Amino acid sequence: MTSIAQSEKNLRRYRTRMYLKRYWTLYAMLALPLIYFIIFKYIPMTYIQIAFKKFSITKSAWEMDWAKNHGFQYFIKAFSNKDFYNALRNTIMLNMLNLILGFPAPIILAIVLNELPYRKFKRFTQTIAYMPHFLSWVIISGLALQLFATRFGLVNTVLRKIGVDSIPFLDDSAHWVWTYVFLGIWQSVGWNTIIYLAALTGINPELYEAASVDGASRMRKIWHITLPGLKSTIVILLIIRMGYIIASDFDQPYAMSNTLVTNVSNVLSIFVYNYGIKGTQQSLATAVGLFQSVVGVMFLLITNSFAKRLGERGLW
Amino acid sequence: MKKLLAILVTTMLLVSVMAPLALAEDAGFVDGKFTETRTITVAHFDRDTEGWDVDNNVFIDFIKQSMLEQYNIDVEFVTTPRWTESDNLPTYLAAGTACDVSYTYSDGTIETYFKQDAVLDLAPLLEEYGEYLTDMVDFFGTNLTWKLDPVEGTIYAIPAVRIETSRINTFVRADWLDKLGMEAPTTTEEFEAMLIAFKDNAELLLGDDADMMVPFALTEDVSWRANNILVSCVADADMNDKTNYIYGYDSRQFLFPGVKEGARLLNKWYNEGLILEDFSLYKMGDSAVDNLIKAGFVGAFENNWDYPFTGGDESIYNMLTEQQGEDAKFIAIDPFQNDAGLTKKVLYSSNGIYIFFPSTNDEPLASLLYLNWMAKLENRMYLQFGEEGIDFEYNADGVRTIVTPDPGYYTRESSNNIDTTMIINGLDQGDATLNAQTKALSYAGVDSYYVELAWNMAMNNGISFANINLGSVEAEEGVSEVLETKRDETLNTAINASVEEFDAVWDAGMQEYLDAGGQAIIDERAEKYNAAYGE
Amino acid sequence: MIKSKHSKWGDYLVVFLCVIMILVFFLPVWNVFVRSFSSPQALIRSDVYLWPVDIDFTAYTLVLTDTTYTWALLWTAMLTIGCTILSMTMTTLCAYPLIFEKLRGRKFINGFIMLTMYFNAGTIPNYLLFKSLGMINSPTVLIFPYCISVFNMIIMRTFLQNIPDSLRESAEIDGANPVRTLISIYLPLSTSVLATLSLFYAVGRWNGYSDALMFMPQNKTYYPIQLLLYNIIQSKESLDAATQEGFSTPGASDALKAAAVMFATIPILMIYPWLQRYFIAGVTLGAMKG
Repeated sequence: MTSIAQSEKNLRRYRTRMYLKRYWTLYAMLALPLIYFIIFKYIPMTYIQIAFKKFSITKSAWEMDWAKNHGFQYFIKAFSNKDFYNALRNTIMLNMLNLILGFPAPIILAIVLNELPYRKFKRFTQTIAYMPHFLSWVIISGLALQLFATRFGLVNTVLRKIGVDSIPFLDDSAHWVWTYVFLGIWQSVGWNTIIYLAALTGINPELYEAASVDGASRMRKIWHITLPGLKSTIVILLIIRMGYIIASDFDQPYAMSNTLVTNVSNVLSIFVYNYGIKGTQQSLATAVGLFQSVVGVMFLLITNSFAKRLGERGLW
Repeated sequence: MKKLLAILVTTMLLVSVMAPLALAEDAGFVDGKFTETRTITVAHFDRDTEGWDVDNNVFIDFIKQSMLEQYNIDVEFVTTPRWTESDNLPTYLAAGTACDVSYTYSDGTIETYFKQDAVLDLAPLLEEYGEYLTDMVDFFGTNLTWKLDPVEGTIYAIPAVRIETSRINTFVRADWLDKLGMEAPTTTEEFEAMLIAFKDNAELLLGDDADMMVPFALTEDVSWRANNILVSCVADADMNDKTNYIYGYDSRQFLFPGVKEGARLLNKWYNEGLILEDFSLYKMGDSAVDNLIKAGFVGAFENNWDYPFTGGDESIYNMLTEQQGEDAKFIAIDPFQNDAGLTKKVLYSSNGIYIFFPSTNDEPLASLLYLNWMAKLENRMYLQFGEEGIDFEYNADGVRTIVTPDPGYYTRESSNNIDTTMIINGLDQGDATLNAQTKALSYAGVDSYYVELAWNMAMNNGISFANINLGSVEAEEGVSEVLETKRDETLNTAINASVEEFDAVWDAGMQEYLDAGGQAIIDERAEKYNAAYGE
Repeated sequence: MIKSKHSKWGDYLVVFLCVIMILVFFLPVWNVFVRSFSSPQALIRSDVYLWPVDIDFTAYTLVLTDTTYTWALLWTAMLTIGCTILSMTMTTLCAYPLIFEKLRGRKFINGFIMLTMYFNAGTIPNYLLFKSLGMINSPTVLIFPYCISVFNMIIMRTFLQNIPDSLRESAEIDGANPVRTLISIYLPLSTSVLATLSLFYAVGRWNGYSDALMFMPQNKTYYPIQLLLYNIIQSKESLDAATQEGFSTPGASDALKAAAVMFATIPILMIYPWLQRYFIAGVTLGAMKG
């Protein structure tokens, strides 16, 4: 080895040693979390192979037999099931509605709260707004029934008294979708404002002062200062949200569904529950879950690169 | 040295070969008792009864003591939640934490896991140890071979014995009939006329609450809450074991030929405003409909044969009296005649909850002896009736009645200790007459007249279908939940539809049911039946 | 913020909107509260909307004197506090090293962690894992599996990234190692994010019951209070129980259900106002220069 190459090698070795000496504590800190992820996230992922195998409760995932059709038997079974397509369609539809209506709602609420001139009142409203988050869907659907039932619900009783026809909030598919989305927002909007409110307190107050001096109205201030101050938070949360576009919550649809609206209320989580868990077709359930995860990650990657292209900092 | 080694090795080889042999013969069981104490775990449902504690209970102690004395078996009870039992079942089996003696109502699930070798085959065990299990064999009778596969010869579960087969009753407000000068209906037409009369006379019957009138209360669970009505539309000639085998996969007789007409009748009533308008929104067990009944707004409903009487102070019977006065009573009626003029209805068969042993059970003989012990009349009578003066009393006629223990004593998990005596469903004193008499007196605060009336109505013209087991039906695997949901969807959407749309909606729903696996099941069952019995 | 230049009408509109929202959010919760004080008879007649009818404390007496409930409350509180501390420690240990741009392997580690947000193995694989670790029916299954939320970790990481590098660099010149920098510089500046994330973790653990339901069903002693609640509310809704057994056991009365809900919810509702004062500095998820 020439002496130049030798000194280059020594330099690299020296640099590595200095680097490690400086940063070894960081790797030590990361050790525990990484072990956690490996044990509790990645090892179970190896069980995803069940999607390609014939599930047996007595065998370990490695021992189970491979499914037919090169392992795709259960994917084919899912994709050729009419209920699966209904569930897929419903999941996307409800998620899109929740995105369009439910994503901006906490932002708007946070801004409105921010405009409150009385601090104590603001705190009070905040605390009230996040209360619904603590009620489980079992309770909320019970309350919904009390309020919205066509015959005996409170809202409809009042409507009838003032001479208006009852509205089938829960028994008609179209109405049910709106009730579902509305209740979802009701339950989560207050809680979701926390992140935005905390972000808002970080906006430099001098900006507002300067704007006031320039004679800006309230709306202009919101448009030019508040919203840009929230922009990064919004983008990050939106990116994360897009990854869940095809994911399916279970509690809300299950608690709120009834036999008259199953053509819109059966989402993928209920499909998996009925076929996979109650129906003991675990391989099928895992296959559908895998499908959802793959699609979700695809959306995540697309949204993240799109955001980066627009100049925002992405998720990584 | 080498010689010593050779001897040592040979001895070890011999021992390692002999040891398993010795264990296999269970040589530790001599004269009906184990030489060494064996431990078994037995599942005990927890239904969240206030104040009940598995560790502080005389009945549990009695079982443990007796089992130890008689067989040298230490019984350990493990509580498992009652309400989520079928949901948790796969978890227990997969994790290997299922008790040696376990129970479930989901026999389909057990069958699936049996095929995956997670559940023990009881047939060879019964054969091998039969001589020690005479009480068990006597008690279970035909239930023992309920799940015997005729082809494979396997038994994966044994159903508990159901003593009371009374199932569903129709109830109507006796005081409303009196106020309107009407007799209890004896035909479907009279029943309909009665509902119309209730609706038309709402002000007379309910005064200010007239707009709360509900002539007939249904819930989403139509196939149960209108079962007698639906079944009355099935041809008399079809109410037999063959129909039940081929079309009886659904336990609510949804597929029986003729049920569509029953649904049509309900659809007609719904469109005439005779049925609770929101019924499809109320799921099984939702207290809203019960509350309407208890508050006195409902004229008629159908449910379990003794539904108004259960619940102690909060029973429909007692709450109605509180809300509306002494006269307000529900009486059982039996008006729904089929085409032969008989009020045929379906009763429970003698199979209750299914008892099974997971494959992690390595004390099968001890577990079977537990069941045998429980089968003896004196044991289960004590467990069901308890101590005289504390748990039960003799009334003036010498009939036993169950009472609640005073505070200061233990609390029972249910009035007849069903979870402790899993092998039997229903109070049994070994004599049918005594059983009936005790039953009539076992509802707190309820006049036995009404209970006896309800019993008679529920049993009148009832059929318990026989058990036909022609082997496992492949088409049934994994579809039970889906088919049940589709059954409810069909019934609910069809009844809610307009009269003109009824046929279209029903047919579409039924077609979906059949496509989702219903047709395959019917076809396979029909094939099996014809192969076994001819056309 | 100086609002003196804004029209009063704008303020009134905002206040009006807030009042409407308060009613919409609060009344249903109030309804549950009011039901817990009403007599069973009034509840049966559905007379109870805004005010308790025939005030009846039996439901609360039952709940408060039942040691199962009070123990569950205490246990859930201990569990929540313990889990929050564990989660916050793990999250910080994970987030902090990732702000060092020079850290080798950083991109890989970021991606490695982020992937787990979307690839969820599912219930069955999870309980196979817990079984092999011996965690089934043990309270450990409530503590370890969810100790790090990637979402929360991202929030913390981004926040720490926004603290000016100049602070860190000057500390490094003084010879401080990364751990010292964390403790002496970053943590003191992070009270708001620490408070926010603690709240998220605490509420998540307090409200959670499905993990206990699926993975610890036979260990009733360590049920979180929400699972007890779930059972009570479900007790009459259990599918098929009455039809299977041929008799019905009385479920919990409506008042008891409402009282149990209140009992399980009120403690956690108290935490937010108390933590609110720590949200002074901002929590941002993006670059925010001046």
